[in-house]
Amino acid sequence: MAALRQIAFYGKGGIGKSTTSQNTLAALAQMGQKILIVGCDPKADSTRLILHAKAQDTVLSLAAEAGSVEDLELEDVMKVGYMDIRCVESGGPEPGVGCAGRGVITSINFLEENGAYDGADYVSYDVLGDVVCGGFAMPIRENKAQEIYIVMSGEMMAMYAANNIAKGVLKYANSGGVRLGGLVCNERQTDKELELAEALAGMLGTKLIHFVPRDNIVQHAELRRMTVLEYAPESKQAEEYRQLATKIHNNAGNGTIPTPITMDQLEDMLMDFGIMQKEDESIIGKAATAA
Amino acid sequence: MSQSAEKVLDHFKLFREPEYEEMFAKKKAEFEYPVPNEALQHTIEWTKTEDYREKNFAREALTVNPAKACQPLGAVFAANGFEGTLPFVHGSQGCVAYYRSHFSRHFKEPTSCVSSSMTEDAAVFGGLNNMIDGLANSYSLYKPKMIAVSTTCMAEVIGDDLNAFIKTSKEKGSVPAEYDVPFAHTPAFVGSHITGYDNALHGVLKHFWDGKAGTVPPLVRKENDSINFIGGFDGYVVGNNREIKRIFKEFGINHTMLCDPSDAWDTPTDGEFRMYDGGTTLEDAANAIHAKATIAMQTISTEKTVKFIEEHGQEVIKLHHPVGVGATDEFIMELSRITGKAIPDSITLERGRLVDAIADSSAHIHGKKFALYGDPDTMLGLTAFLLELGAEPVTVLSTNGDKAWAEKVQALFDASPFGTNCKVYPKKDLWHMRSLLFTDPVDFLIGNTYGKYLDRDTKTPLIRIGFPIFDRHHKHRYPVWGYQGAMNVLVTILDKIFDEMDADTNGIGTTDYSFDIIR
Amino acid sequence: MTYTVDLGVNGAELIEEVLKAYPEKSAKRRAKHLGVHEEGKSDCDVKSNIKSLPGVMTIRGCAYAGSKGVVWGPIKDMIHISHGPVGCGQYSWASRRNYYIGTTGVDSFGTMQFTSDFQEKDIVFGGDKKLEKIMDEIQVLFPLNKGITIQSECPIGLIGDDIEAVAKKKSKEYEGKTIVPVRCEGFRGVSQSLGHHIANDAIRDFIFDKTDPNKNEFTGTPYDVAIIGDYNIGGDAWSSRILLEEMGLRVIAQWSGDGSIAELENSPKAKLNILHCYRSMNYISRHMEEKYGIPWVEYNFFGPSKIEESLRKIAGFFDDSIKEKTEEVIAKYKVLTDAVIAKYKPRLQGKRVMLFVGGLRPRHVIGAYEDLGMEVVGTGYEFGHNDDYQRTTHYVKDGTLIYDDVTGYEFEKFVEAVQPDLVGSGIKEKYVFQKMGVPFRQMHSWDYSGPYHGYDGFAIFARDMDMAINNPVWALTKTPWKKAA
Repeated sequence: MAALRQIAFYGKGGIGKSTTSQNTLAALAQMGQKILIVGCDPKADSTRLILHAKAQDTVLSLAAEAGSVEDLELEDVMKVGYMDIRCVESGGPEPGVGCAGRGVITSINFLEENGAYDGADYVSYDVLGDVVCGGFAMPIRENKAQEIYIVMSGEMMAMYAANNIAKGVLKYANSGGVRLGGLVCNERQTDKELELAEALAGMLGTKLIHFVPRDNIVQHAELRRMTVLEYAPESKQAEEYRQLATKIHNNAGNGTIPTPITMDQLEDMLMDFGIMQKEDESIIGKAATAA
Repeated sequence: MSQSAEKVLDHFKLFREPEYEEMFAKKKAEFEYPVPNEALQHTIEWTKTEDYREKNFAREALTVNPAKACQPLGAVFAANGFEGTLPFVHGSQGCVAYYRSHFSRHFKEPTSCVSSSMTEDAAVFGGLNNMIDGLANSYSLYKPKMIAVSTTCMAEVIGDDLNAFIKTSKEKGSVPAEYDVPFAHTPAFVGSHITGYDNALHGVLKHFWDGKAGTVPPLVRKENDSINFIGGFDGYVVGNNREIKRIFKEFGINHTMLCDPSDAWDTPTDGEFRMYDGGTTLEDAANAIHAKATIAMQTISTEKTVKFIEEHGQEVIKLHHPVGVGATDEFIMELSRITGKAIPDSITLERGRLVDAIADSSAHIHGKKFALYGDPDTMLGLTAFLLELGAEPVTVLSTNGDKAWAEKVQALFDASPFGTNCKVYPKKDLWHMRSLLFTDPVDFLIGNTYGKYLDRDTKTPLIRIGFPIFDRHHKHRYPVWGYQGAMNVLVTILDKIFDEMDADTNGIGTTDYSFDIIR
Repeated sequence: MTYTVDLGVNGAELIEEVLKAYPEKSAKRRAKHLGVHEEGKSDCDVKSNIKSLPGVMTIRGCAYAGSKGVVWGPIKDMIHISHGPVGCGQYSWASRRNYYIGTTGVDSFGTMQFTSDFQEKDIVFGGDKKLEKIMDEIQVLFPLNKGITIQSECPIGLIGDDIEAVAKKKSKEYEGKTIVPVRCEGFRGVSQSLGHHIANDAIRDFIFDKTDPNKNEFTGTPYDVAIIGDYNIGGDAWSSRILLEEMGLRVIAQWSGDGSIAELENSPKAKLNILHCYRSMNYISRHMEEKYGIPWVEYNFFGPSKIEESLRKIAGFFDDSIKEKTEEVIAKYKVLTDAVIAKYKPRLQGKRVMLFVGGLRPRHVIGAYEDLGMEVVGTGYEFGHNDDYQRTTHYVKDGTLIYDDVTGYEFEKFVEAVQPDLVGSGIKEKYVFQKMGVPFRQMHSWDYSGPYHGYDGFAIFARDMDMAINNPVWALTKTPWKKAA
């Protein structure tokens, strides 16, 4: 048996991270890989296309009901979906209360202690947004994900977030074994998107693993709570995800220690591509009436 | 003025003098705006009723007077059991002051332990720098052979990664690269002090057996004839570990006491302060992987460790704080089975003497009703012993015992005619116990020092067995394990029974016909 | 010529030697906290109230300890919830010996441990709902409680719980019941000290500002005083109160040992606040001075010299009738203290003491030792500030070794070198020094004895110091068949 591959998808909220990850993982499953998905986003939407469900019961909500995490059994929290992909959602609190980061730690500890990873070829963590605190860094700690894939697009905030995530990876890369696997650009049809993504990848010391073109078929599939791989396996878009899956599969051990850039460098790059205009210092802080 | 130089009155007697009594009454009446006496008396009586008990047991959120502490306390206990080891708790510093005080009050011994002293800035930025500086300072000042790291809830909430932090600290030169720094995450909001003991001991074994956090190849087990012994979180560790070592010696068994703070918490007063003394050597901790088998004396206290050892191919004998004849028989026979050594005559004699003592005294214990509380393994051991003595452990309660534990206790009840009217209460506290003692009165209460409040309120005499014992001295020096240990427990129970008997029959000219000189 | 204590060694050299054990960066930082007092040094030449170094074995505690353990905990008719995981409340449960009179569990709650016993789910989902339920359960099971405080443990501040909102909501629901949220998470500040401050502020905001001034029917007199900063350890506040009453004053409140919520509420009606532990309660004293115009005066009730001085200082705020009675009190007790000194001084004369305590004691007890002919040669504060060290200059002699936030290592080395006849510190230090053969008394808990305040307390203090130093066990510590090394 090949060693367990642990990967993680990070990215700014709304970027299409969970869609990309689920389609990619479905493609990996079609290639015969045994997959476990661990959703680490409090909104628990990392597995619904695989399970054809709205949102599965999460580890933390079940634990809260049962009294404590120790009262849970693995089968309570793990569901099996398309192509026998095993799915777990960590879950978390309502916005504004509690500590979602701790929730991620709690869930992953529970899964490890209860043998959730046994027999899997791939574990994939789907993580919300930035590495905002120690909890959300849990999947990139030693003996967790070895490769991080950042889902981004040509929008400024997505690239800003990608850089932040790279910083988080760097922090753990020196002491542990985590590496940046690459960027996945989810096309938003912004100007010079492919070039920008490639340039950013270069600056971060990584590569653009795949450029996923925009295709409405993804939305059609989502309406049916399905991945494209299941909904329209022969479609062009399904082929794109298969390519992405193949690249990730062949990318084992090729990750790099990222070289995050400063805010100024990022802005310079955006200006080079004409995405951002140079600031007009004379208008800073002037109210509309004063202009 | 009642005070004098000849006979100095301290708080015990001073405040009973009339000038103070008068002052208290005036203070209360004029300034405290007290609850009217009638309401007070009414409420006092109400707290003794079935109605109050029902409301008390309906609690879902509030805990009052729990019989458990938090994880890092257990981690410090475990660390203290290894040779030259400094416990290092990553997080807020106040916690460490508490653990040290708590142990010192129980053992009447110093307890060394350091904190990484995280404050508000570390809460925001993480505690990496505290770890780097902390390890460097501890290593320079206290020259430990090993630093065992655990965490307070603060570090756990912000999600500090000990493995990464320790590696980084080593890279920054805080301690040498090959220096042993085992670690365990010990969140206070999971489990109790016994969970922390388990996590910390597991952390140490994992460190030595599984390749020191990826820096050396994992050890490969080559079975030898040695036996590992793991006592668990045990307030009697000083007496118990020495007794167990004696038993091993009687057998002639090669053994490793895995986690042995019995010397660290019993150093002599001879002019020298020993910051470290005794303990499992680091070499023995590593070699313990090769042992033939491991004895887990308190399996609930060491669940994770037991599983880890089993996964490394060792048989683990899983016991629950054996006290008494039957439970000790099992322990001794298992020792004989796994080592292939005959049970020594000396041990057989000890068994006979214990049975003899029970036979001599059982008339005074038979049929007596007991309520007891404490750590889950301890409760299993004591319940079995009481049943064996013909006593009725009618109320068995544990704050950190869960449903699975309760089922084990129930099984003990079911197997004995004396268990018929007995009930087990998992995840309950001493305020629940207070209600139970009023509504289902018993003859004696067994528990730790905090039980004295129950003794006072319900007039149920307390027999002090458990952790912590702050208000009696030196109990930790006497074993409760082995046949000799069971003898100590028996005598402790009997002493209280006889004292109560005398106190109840010393009315001059009224009850003292029963004030017998021979019992 | 100024008098110099007999340290027995060169203090500056000793400090230098001890600092050698530290990594360079840490030695530099610790150096600022260690010094030898000389006349003219306004703060004993040490820096204070600075973060402890990680890993050095500081003796300090945390803000929670300062609020729950010190300031709020002793208020007997309120319920103090240790809000967070179980440990903090467990370790501080009834261990500080704040004596009180009341029916525990019914109208008083001092020696109980109320905790929200946080579980993982409370951290992840937040604890506010649980806290609300706890309040409801308290109201059912402890109906005679006069108020509730929420003592925050570390996680509360980290997970962003809104305990203020819970307190407000529940207070309204229970008809204006006093419910006090206290933000004393252990990671705040550098020691217990910030916890005292936060707790003082909470009294200001939630007792003074939120209580109807006419809640308690109260008839004042010109002689009304409040004892501030006496936690009644082993009955200290009682053996103090009795003297104040004897001199004709009316003690309307005790803060906070054996205190009740009504006493806190009535304090703004005092004519004078008399402040024992300056460190932990100067904040509220200053506030009452500013807002209610109540003057405050620091006093020291350890040992006859300081008691006499303090009684006269307090009497100075009142008319001649009080002053006269004060002289009578002093005369009355002189008989006792003379007898105590006559009995114990010959046994204690010339004995050298090293202290390391918190609050006011590193300076306040020096006079009591001197009354017995003893000499304090080293002292330091666990959580003192600059103003404490300034006040200390009036107590210590030249040459006294001063150590702020001493570490386990330093304290051991200092005692080893100075070889005092007695060390006074806490439970964590007690057995270290006893093993070394050095007599020891716990000066936080009075080693389960007390009271030590007032004239009655001085007799006990003298007896205990004699008992420690002249204990025959210290002659037995050397094994006869082992040659001296």
